[in-house]
Amino acid sequence: MVEGGCGVQNVNRVLDRLLGPLNGPLEPARSLPFWLCFLVVVTLLAVLPNFLSRYELLNFSNIFSNVFLALGLCLIWGYSGILSLGQSAFLGLGGYAYGIVGINFIETHGDTWLALAVGLGFPVLVAAVLGWIMFYGRLKGVYVAILMLVVTLLIETFLNQTAGQGWFIGEAHLGGNNGLGRFSGVVSKPPSLTLSFGESLVIFKGSSLAFYYLVITLGVVAYLGLRWLVNARFGQVLAGIREDPERTEALGYDIRLAQLAVFCLAALLSAISGVLYVSWGNFITPNVFGVFYNILPVIWVAVAGRRSLTAAALGCIGLVWLSQWLALQGDLAFVVLGTILVLAMLLKPEGVLIGLGEAIGRLFDRLGIGRNPRCADDG
Amino acid sequence: MTDEPMTDEPIIETRGLSKRFGGVLAVTEVDFSVAPGQIRTIVGPNGAGKSTFFKLLLGSIRPDQGSIYFKGRDVTGLDPHRRALLGIGVKFQNLAVYEALTVRHNLYLPLRHHHGRRDVAGEISIMLERLKLAGKEDMLAGHLAHGQKQWLAIGMALAMQPKLLLLDEPCAGLGAEETEATVALIRSCNEQGIAAIVVEHDMAFVRQLGAPVTVLHYGRIFAEGSLAEIEQHEDVRRIYLGAAKPRRLRQTLSATEPEKE
Amino acid sequence: MDTLTDVASFLYQYADTIATLVLSAIGLIIIFGMMGVINMAHGEMMMIGAYTTSFSYYAGVPTPIAIALGGLGAALAGVVLERLVVRRFYGQLLSSLVATWGVSLILSQGALLVFGSLIRSVPTPFGSIALGDVSFSIYRLFLFLAGLALILGVWALLRFTRFGLDVRATMQDPTMARALGVDTKRIYAFTFGLGTGLAGLAGGLLALTSTIGPFYGQSYTPQAFITVVVGGGAELISGLLASALSLGAVKTIFTSHYNILMGQVAMLVFALVVIRFMPAGISEWIARRRLRSGRG
Repeated sequence: MVEGGCGVQNVNRVLDRLLGPLNGPLEPARSLPFWLCFLVVVTLLAVLPNFLSRYELLNFSNIFSNVFLALGLCLIWGYSGILSLGQSAFLGLGGYAYGIVGINFIETHGDTWLALAVGLGFPVLVAAVLGWIMFYGRLKGVYVAILMLVVTLLIETFLNQTAGQGWFIGEAHLGGNNGLGRFSGVVSKPPSLTLSFGESLVIFKGSSLAFYYLVITLGVVAYLGLRWLVNARFGQVLAGIREDPERTEALGYDIRLAQLAVFCLAALLSAISGVLYVSWGNFITPNVFGVFYNILPVIWVAVAGRRSLTAAALGCIGLVWLSQWLALQGDLAFVVLGTILVLAMLLKPEGVLIGLGEAIGRLFDRLGIGRNPRCADDG
Repeated sequence: MTDEPMTDEPIIETRGLSKRFGGVLAVTEVDFSVAPGQIRTIVGPNGAGKSTFFKLLLGSIRPDQGSIYFKGRDVTGLDPHRRALLGIGVKFQNLAVYEALTVRHNLYLPLRHHHGRRDVAGEISIMLERLKLAGKEDMLAGHLAHGQKQWLAIGMALAMQPKLLLLDEPCAGLGAEETEATVALIRSCNEQGIAAIVVEHDMAFVRQLGAPVTVLHYGRIFAEGSLAEIEQHEDVRRIYLGAAKPRRLRQTLSATEPEKE
Repeated sequence: MDTLTDVASFLYQYADTIATLVLSAIGLIIIFGMMGVINMAHGEMMMIGAYTTSFSYYAGVPTPIAIALGGLGAALAGVVLERLVVRRFYGQLLSSLVATWGVSLILSQGALLVFGSLIRSVPTPFGSIALGDVSFSIYRLFLFLAGLALILGVWALLRFTRFGLDVRATMQDPTMARALGVDTKRIYAFTFGLGTGLAGLAGGLLALTSTIGPFYGQSYTPQAFITVVVGGGAELISGLLASALSLGAVKTIFTSHYNILMGQVAMLVFALVVIRFMPAGISEWIARRRLRSGRG
């Protein structure tokens, strides 16, 4: 048991009220020290650009913009028991939809609000149709997983053969494996997010501070929002469905609707990564629909720990960074990532970061540093 | 609720209910009804169609023929969650709790339908008291003792505030004392006007409950009547009651059910 | 071009499509049907079969034996994979999916590193026959027969051998089978090896018709997955057959009217329609029809 002083108890009580909606048994990272770390990390992220070169800033923005994809997969796989092996399809659809609308309307509109809306809306629509078929058909989990992979690979095949002159949508040329471009005499690229707020116009170029802060802000909002969601009623129902769909249905919940809803939400998160990706690099190719792009989020989430949003986000950042580093070392990158995945699945099936978190938690307990009272009571 | 007039209309009724799997007729033309507030036990030898009948009532499988009426309303085509919200509470066979979730979470899901955000916490504590699980709310349900899990499962069904409880082997694996307590729990619910259909292998429990019995045999209703009538029923004794001694009987009856989907 | 040639040409295409579907899916569907596990390294097992076939062929081994060696190589790889990885995830289907996907990544990328992006392909034997202006590859017709023979062989294996009996017992109720003295662990290992062996055999057979590289098998996996989704149900053999016949028809029609991509898209759409309206798979649906007509 934790013998905290009165002050600590009070702090805990206040924090409990403040963080209550974000804390719950469904997210393992919920102790006081964790939240202190969280504050430190957010602060560091806020001041980080001061210490980065332009290139490093560009790179960090890219790494962080993957977090939404990881959070989405974590939400459906870890929290709802729905594994999708084609989660990057929604990233790609979002990116392409954003890019196509952006190319067509950037000049007439002057901003990309419409492109943003379509870029986020289109993948959700596709997810809704696929989800309706799969969940309302009460398809088995393994089928959902491999069907999503088939869907994404077919989109890749389709886009790869669109290099010819017949493949225009308005001004946007699908461009086969060269990727999305604009062809009106000269080839140009999909635009960066360009958002008008009243009079002012902000262009979120990949190398800009604005883009970096956009990604960080969205990331923190998405992370906290999802933490709230998984501990709210919807999340509790999802956990029920993950553990026993039949039982949850008999308790009066429409599990098909809940699965469809969470699937669409995960598609939205992927689409955010997709729009950011195009906006960041001003290009997108059919590769994002391929095997590698789809196995990567699965590796992040599986290795770090699928039952925790915190682990998924950290795992994503760490492993994207690692794969970039590995890619510089030679051709071994994917073999190493595959090995990491298999070893993690064999040795730490619940996730490496989860194991690490538990070890730290035990250490704190032994040192007598107060954890969240609700956990301490587990005794 | 109590403002509904008590009529002779059955709380649940099936007409000509049939279901087959592959070539096997699991349930054949079953006409069955339970009056509001009544307890009914369903017994039958292995493969008699009890589980299939249970699933048909609950809605997880659809009949090939026939219809199901709940409070006079045709619910044959209704999904399980709709039936649940109409007032059918279910306790599945074998420890039907969410083992990997906390006791609180287990109770939260059924209670959340009927209580606002604030009341749920209070309702959970009341429920915990009633189920003798106070103080265990943050434990994972999988870590509870066997009997506690059974009670939690029944409690989850009760928390649905049902008009009709479907209980599949509520006493499987319980000791004599726990069985007695469970009988008392079911009776106390019944006193509040909740009807119950209990599928059970354990004849000792069936006797303790003392409710009218429906005997299923080869998917048909073989006999129906009060406990005494059924125990005296010669054909029933012949198909399995009389032939076996109670101990043997229990063993035969609690062997694994072959009728899986 | 006269009608006869058209019909013959269509039938030839249809047979070829069915052969490809059956061959690329048989190993996958056997493992899935018996163990409930989707082997994501299925394409790599086909790749191992093709590589072994090619290496043996150029080492002077006659083609049929080279193909058989391909099957053997993949079967061994499968048994090792089962021992080292798959075994840990029985009862956790999604985890086994992810773990074998990791193995798939290691194997395909490893092959790329070790052997490069292409290896020598094996020439197609038998030549071709001409009917009017169109010529048909005899080997592709042979593949159709080979596909049917494999199905028949698997059926006979399950139906008539001791191994088949044990496998069916284990499928129905592992606990009961263990109680009856069946070594279920060995059965699982054998079944997995059988599945990957068939994948390797298929890889070897199909290798004679295409170029071979590290991602050779992966090009077959989407259609193999679709075949399993449509045919996966209670009935293994009839499910595979029903699935290959129906998907083959859809693919052949759409491929000949439009292009290969449309053929694949049509298969996916067909699969989505099937799962929405016949969730238990096409074999269940057929079984029910048969039952009803039998009764009525």
